Amino acid sequence: MGGRFGYGPLNLDNVKLKGHENKSNVFDKPWHAKVWAFAHLTGALGIWNLDVSRRFRESLPINDYVNFSYYEKWLAALTNILVCYKLVTEAELNKVVEETINKQRSGLGTDEAKNKKCTGNPNWDAPDRIAVMKTLGWGGGSVRESELKPKFLNGEKVETIFGNPNPDVKGGHTRLPGYAMGREGIIYAYRGVHVFPDKNAHGFGEEPQPLYTVEFSSRDLFGKDAEAYHKVFLDCWEPYLRRSR
Amino acid sequence: MKNQKEIEYPDVALNHRSLPSDPELRVRAIETLLLEKKLIKTESIDAIIDLYENKIGPINGAKVIARAWIDKKFKERLLSDARSAIQELPYIGKQGYNIIAVENTKTVHNVVVCTLCSCYPWSLLGIPPSWYKSDQYRARVVREPRKVLSEFGLKLSEKIEIRVWDSTSELRYLVVPEKPKEADGLVEKELVKYITRDVMIGTALVKVS
Repeated sequence: MGGRFGYGPLNLDNVKLKGHENKSNVFDKPWHAKVWAFAHLTGALGIWNLDVSRRFRESLPINDYVNFSYYEKWLAALTNILVCYKLVTEAELNKVVEETINKQRSGLGTDEAKNKKCTGNPNWDAPDRIAVMKTLGWGGGSVRESELKPKFLNGEKVETIFGNPNPDVKGGHTRLPGYAMGREGIIYAYRGVHVFPDKNAHGFGEEPQPLYTVEFSSRDLFGKDAEAYHKVFLDCWEPYLRRSR
Repeated sequence: MKNQKEIEYPDVALNHRSLPSDPELRVRAIETLLLEKKLIKTESIDAIIDLYENKIGPINGAKVIARAWIDKKFKERLLSDARSAIQELPYIGKQGYNIIAVENTKTVHNVVVCTLCSCYPWSLLGIPPSWYKSDQYRARVVREPRKVLSEFGLKLSEKIEIRVWDSTSELRYLVVPEKPKEADGLVEKELVKYITRDVMIGTALVKVS
């Protein structure tokens, strides 16, 4: 997505916030909150990891990816992950969808739809509090104790690899954005050894790798398409990098 | 990994295509199913939404910045090791685990994006605003940050170096804005009011009126 052409001005209708009082901007629609909550709560079941869930969101077919709104992407990914991990079957899903549509047509679903939240009160003493709190730290701790020593030093010139860097899966999940592939940069900071998403997202284990923040000049990334000189910083795992020749 | 069978990607089926086009109905259908199967509980849906709608928001980040403005030593610690600095603040504590603080100065302006999805310091700023998650912002701010910032009404001098932080890992970038002169003499509690979410993303400057 980064650097792509063809996008107009930002829609900033909601941006006129003053201070911290205005909460209207948290979720634009009730179903946004719901799909977001379901993704986190099912994530907290511990069946798949954070990188897997990102992989599902980022691997939607390109037409869908560009046409779907943000939370539609979450919804599509949630549906796919539930089916792929066999928590629900497509048949069950189709059945309940049909029922929901019929309910809606007969007018039974309207009250429910108007409710912003579920009917129950948030209950922090419920055993599920653990599940909710788990979602907060979910994926948060990506740093791992490791004997691995960083190969590159701060200030060292490096080059990102070209083409999808995932070593195991053709076109697989990665966190090296296309716009920064095959580009020269400078190691800005070493950040410790972190879970490697390219492996973890496909169930190959965490395989932690040294992580660096790498500094790129906008000209090196975008050539004359960059508006002027600025710097872009990206976090890159060691397998994304080579010593610059 | 050598023995691993090479996998062609994507390996996910396009099941979502079989769903009705109205996302609101789709979500309701999934909710019914998840509740029926006892995979989630109504109370936890309410609790997690309540948490992010009412309890976690930019006020958390604002408290960190306000403290940095009045306590130089804290600011130094925040910039060198945000994780342990934020842990000193009892109301946020552990949630600062993966934060990297980047400082705006007279010559440098920082702005944060996630071109891959919508990564962002949730624990300090709450759920990101729609524009942060929009394709427009994600596509453009790495290539033409000045133009994007000008759409927010932020016109920066050519002399100021812009640094765009693309959040590709689990590290989360928090912009430490400059304290304007007008804010001199204000106490922490008052300062917090002026430190908005956008200021901590880098798409606005602090305005004390």
